[in-house]
Amino acid sequence: MKFLRTIAVAAVASLLALPALAQDFIAGIPRNEALIIQGPTAQNADWFNIWAPGGGATTNGTQQLSADTFWFINPEGGPNPWQNALATEPPIYNADFTEMTVKLRQGVYWSDGVEFTADDVVYTVQTLIDHPGMNWAAAFGVNVASVEAPDRDTVVFKLKAPNSRFHALFTVRWNAAWIMPKHIFEKVADPLAYDFNPPVSLSAYVLHSYDKAGNWTIWKLRDDWQRTTIGMDWGQPQVKYVVYRAAGNPEARVIEQRNHNLDVINDITPEGMFSIMKDNPSAAAWLAGFPYAHPDPTLPSVLFNTKKAPFDNKDVRWALALLIDIRAVALGSYRGAANLSALATPPTGSAPEDYFVPMQDWLTNFELDTGTRKIKPYDPTIAEQLAKMVRPQWGDQIPTDPEQLKRTFGFGWWKQDVQAATELLQKAGFTKQGNRWMKPDGTPFTIRVQVEGDAIPTLARAGTAIAQQWTQAGIDAKVDVAGPTHGQRLGTGDFETVIAWSIETWGGHPDLSFFLDSYHSEFIKPVGEIQPPRNLQRWEDPRLDEIIERNRTVAFDAPEVKQLGQDFLKLAVEEMPMIPLMAYNKFAPFDTTYWTNYPSIDNPYSASGPNWSNIRYMVVSLKAATPAAQ
Amino acid sequence: MHGFLIYLMKRFGQFLFVVFTGVTLSFLIAHFSPVDPIEQTVSLLTSFGNTDPRSVELLRESLRELYGTGGSLLDQYFTFWGRVLTGDFGPSLSAFPTPVSTVIGRALPWTVGLLTLATLFSWTLGNLFGALAGYFRDNRPLKVLGVFVMSMQPIPTYIVGLSMIIVFGYLWPVLPISGGAQLNLEPGFTWEYVSSVIVHGTLPALTLVCVGLGGWFISMRSLVSNIVTEDHVVYAELAGVPGRTMFSQYVARNAMLPQVTGLALTLGHVFGGAVIVEFVFNYPGMGKLLVAGIYAGDYSLVLGVTTIAIIAVATAVFIIDVLYPLIDPRVKLG
Amino acid sequence: MKILIDLLRYNREFLVGAIFLAVILALVVASFFAPYDEMMTYVVIPDMPPSAEYWLGTNSRGQDLFWQLAASMRNTLMFGVVVALVSRVIAITVGLVSGYLGGRVDQVIMAINDTLNALPNIPILLLLVFVLRDQMSWPILAVTAALLGWQHDSRLIRSVALSLRNREFTRQAVFSGMRTGKILFREHLPYVMPIVFYTTMNNLIWAIGLEVTLSILGFSDINRPTIGGMIYWANAHSAMVAGIWWWIAVPMVFVVILFLGLFMLAMSVNEYIDPRSRLARMGA
Repeated sequence: MKFLRTIAVAAVASLLALPALAQDFIAGIPRNEALIIQGPTAQNADWFNIWAPGGGATTNGTQQLSADTFWFINPEGGPNPWQNALATEPPIYNADFTEMTVKLRQGVYWSDGVEFTADDVVYTVQTLIDHPGMNWAAAFGVNVASVEAPDRDTVVFKLKAPNSRFHALFTVRWNAAWIMPKHIFEKVADPLAYDFNPPVSLSAYVLHSYDKAGNWTIWKLRDDWQRTTIGMDWGQPQVKYVVYRAAGNPEARVIEQRNHNLDVINDITPEGMFSIMKDNPSAAAWLAGFPYAHPDPTLPSVLFNTKKAPFDNKDVRWALALLIDIRAVALGSYRGAANLSALATPPTGSAPEDYFVPMQDWLTNFELDTGTRKIKPYDPTIAEQLAKMVRPQWGDQIPTDPEQLKRTFGFGWWKQDVQAATELLQKAGFTKQGNRWMKPDGTPFTIRVQVEGDAIPTLARAGTAIAQQWTQAGIDAKVDVAGPTHGQRLGTGDFETVIAWSIETWGGHPDLSFFLDSYHSEFIKPVGEIQPPRNLQRWEDPRLDEIIERNRTVAFDAPEVKQLGQDFLKLAVEEMPMIPLMAYNKFAPFDTTYWTNYPSIDNPYSASGPNWSNIRYMVVSLKAATPAAQ
Repeated sequence: MHGFLIYLMKRFGQFLFVVFTGVTLSFLIAHFSPVDPIEQTVSLLTSFGNTDPRSVELLRESLRELYGTGGSLLDQYFTFWGRVLTGDFGPSLSAFPTPVSTVIGRALPWTVGLLTLATLFSWTLGNLFGALAGYFRDNRPLKVLGVFVMSMQPIPTYIVGLSMIIVFGYLWPVLPISGGAQLNLEPGFTWEYVSSVIVHGTLPALTLVCVGLGGWFISMRSLVSNIVTEDHVVYAELAGVPGRTMFSQYVARNAMLPQVTGLALTLGHVFGGAVIVEFVFNYPGMGKLLVAGIYAGDYSLVLGVTTIAIIAVATAVFIIDVLYPLIDPRVKLG
Repeated sequence: MKILIDLLRYNREFLVGAIFLAVILALVVASFFAPYDEMMTYVVIPDMPPSAEYWLGTNSRGQDLFWQLAASMRNTLMFGVVVALVSRVIAITVGLVSGYLGGRVDQVIMAINDTLNALPNIPILLLLVFVLRDQMSWPILAVTAALLGWQHDSRLIRSVALSLRNREFTRQAVFSGMRTGKILFREHLPYVMPIVFYTTMNNLIWAIGLEVTLSILGFSDINRPTIGGMIYWANAHSAMVAGIWWWIAVPMVFVVILFLGLFMLAMSVNEYIDPRSRLARMGA
């Protein structure tokens, strides 16, 4: 069979010729001038109008690198979390919070050479109000009575009702209302249908090129970078090009970074992270040792649908919390790399100082009435126990100092206490038949634990671990993967329990209004109708309303804000409307082959999440690893 | 010739029927989807950002108006047909207000190119080796090849793709593992771009060939081994027809009929097969678009993709039917 | 019985196929004697490579892969067999009847066939999984898959049946007064048997592949161990890059064993059914 031999030879020859096909990763741009960040796939890559829905990917650099607004808050905390951007100073409110004045920076220019002025701001607010389909339109429509520019550097907002947090609309935590270029949009017939392509930039980078198929977008440093707020405050950036690229599934991302084709990863599995840190000498991370993870200021929890029996009963909720062995959940979801939280606020940014440290005594002394006795459920030694469990695998990487352990693994959590849970369930009228719990009406106690699934594998893993523990305790618990219907089912209350977050904070500021204001009972909808974010558990309590109403009347930076925050956290412990689990730990390794000086827990100068608009401060602070780039 | 014309007309009628029913069915199914495009957009806009409950409700209302998702099912159905007939599927809801046809137009060439080539490759190789293996049954290398090819076949596409990524992307990093072409390259008929597309398509295509080869191989082999024992072949052998002629004229040719049918059908199914491969290699084609559309509840987009898929399959069937009498003279025009 | 022994003795392919399938069946039987609940996690030390204690290793969820595989094989096989059986019955009936009757009936049947064939499977299944959600149990999924998975094969069968219709022996059978059903069953079915065999295998593989695809896209019941479920969880723990290769290799190797076993069995049985091919083997 000569023929077969010929084919075999041809196959081997073509295989050997493969290396000859290798191409530069990016055509025409020196690799050491470009920072490659994991980005999204854009459904509609031609779209750069971040003020209209459009289906363009706003997180492909558009909001991070070309947009600007008044203020930024560093979600990591850091020494100076508050950053004035287009404004020169924090917002100036009048006494009853019905008027906000903003002083604007001078000498800032759009990338097409037009100067930025108060007219742009007035135009932005007015245009959004006039076009209800646009982003932030509704928020301005609800709040703003009028907006004026008394001079070219001042904007005055007159509000329809007192609102001490109106500036939050212009304060970036992840994003915020961005300022539109008046000179471009005023020539457009319908701003809602305008693709804004190519976009005019107000920040340090401008669009260089993009993939029509939506896989990558490349941004270039502006020649006149000095004329932007970044240039004025942060000096000359070394990164000349920023490449946002979709990089496939988690495995592919790990490989791309090992091949040095992906400098910043958004998220991978814990196992992928460990393998990168082990095998890639040029890898860096938020934490230099185990667990490496970066905690986002969001709080994955077990949310209860408090409008559905028996989850309307606080004793049942507490019983379910006490049935959880949090160490097993931490191991199952994050291989132990979890930052646990017993309080209803993420243990990140400035929260440890603002809340966790001051409230330890209260937590330790907290008493729970099981119906037959009183117990103290808090266990402040959880961090040490977790450390002990992972030490055989990670050895010296695990710190021994208890204080440091608390910052990594959390301050404490509830002790698993099956006896107390049994008493609580009995108090609620439940009975045990054999090994199965029966509800007061005599039917078996079943629970569906909803998870989103593959999009957030760690939380799906946490859900399975928790369901298993409940099952072992005699409750028939099943995990339910909701996929893309996850968000909707959360909104309509079509769940019993769900692993998700309903609490997100500024991270760098103690004010909890970011999520708390929407918890007011005036916004609660009946199950079946869509509950606006974020009170997805539909928790209703007059004491809660009182805290929220009080918080609305105090200024953002008032010392009372912390006190009100503590009141809320105490109430949330007593009522247990959701079981807070841990910070949302993200595994986001950096590659230092071309760039160094990434933010870390020791140097938390900026957010580093690729989708977070605040990453712009990281981009402009990176240092070239190869001097040749200079 | 008159008979053939009537036959043609009949088949064409059938073609129209298939398209009409298929599209109607998928219209209904797509509208059953519990994923609400409005909610997907709302959650996209509100996640992570600052949200005021009152504004979210206003936003929802204005989006409903904007997307035009109101109206009875029947109204929407007629509007939809009006759009299909003019070759326009209306605005995509997840890429509003860009027309679905534009979104699809961008993805279509990638999928068609990749899958057509990969399918033709695996069909040719599979049939060739299958026929040889069926004819020369005692050839050892062919037997080994047979076992190898068959062992590849049941491995899920995803795993084959992932293994390719590990082997050619990590252990021996010589081929790109993601995307359709090099970054920052202007599309066009330049050597640079075309070669980049080919290099980027190698691993996805290789995956598809590995997965597809076995099916053709096995079916061809069993078809041939059946024909070998038929009377006319035995007779030809006894009559001293030379081996090569025997193989190509008496055996392979007769076994081709079902295989050609299969090829046409597979080519029609090109869109369905793309989902996993495009998912693994982050390839900018229709399969990825379809999954994204389903996730976003963008039924305009989902319907656009499925309608094209249905027309492709129906066309494939139509062409086979027209060609059938020409390939197999034993079939009489019914 | 004697036939079986003969086959085992004289036909090497049959022997190998039988051994492979025996391995799979043994696994399925073993699954009923598992020492732990197949859904439980962290019952053994995680991430152990294959060893004397854990024959196939353990995964990152602290499960013994041997017992996971046994349960998965059972569940996946059950799914695949239901899909294959249901769709075979439909495909053979439709293909033979349509091909034999021809004319208008053929046209109508094929029009329906093609319509169903033209519907893209993946979106329909995905949407169906959404809509049914909690009610979506594996038997419902299997029947749905079966309803989507026969048109291609029935068309292949029909194309052979169509050419049989005009053959001499069919005419003779008709003239000798044989009933239609009998003609189809006795005379035509053997001719399409090779197609039936390999399409059955293809169908089984397709069904398993479908299960895996749905799992990978995250649309399956992740509580229930299946081959796709194993890969899903391996994926959720990045097993491939984390070096836990056995987590992926084990389900893969055993799917290949299952398939090769089926294939060899089908091939040798095929020879047995078709006596001419058996004669050829004996050296005629």
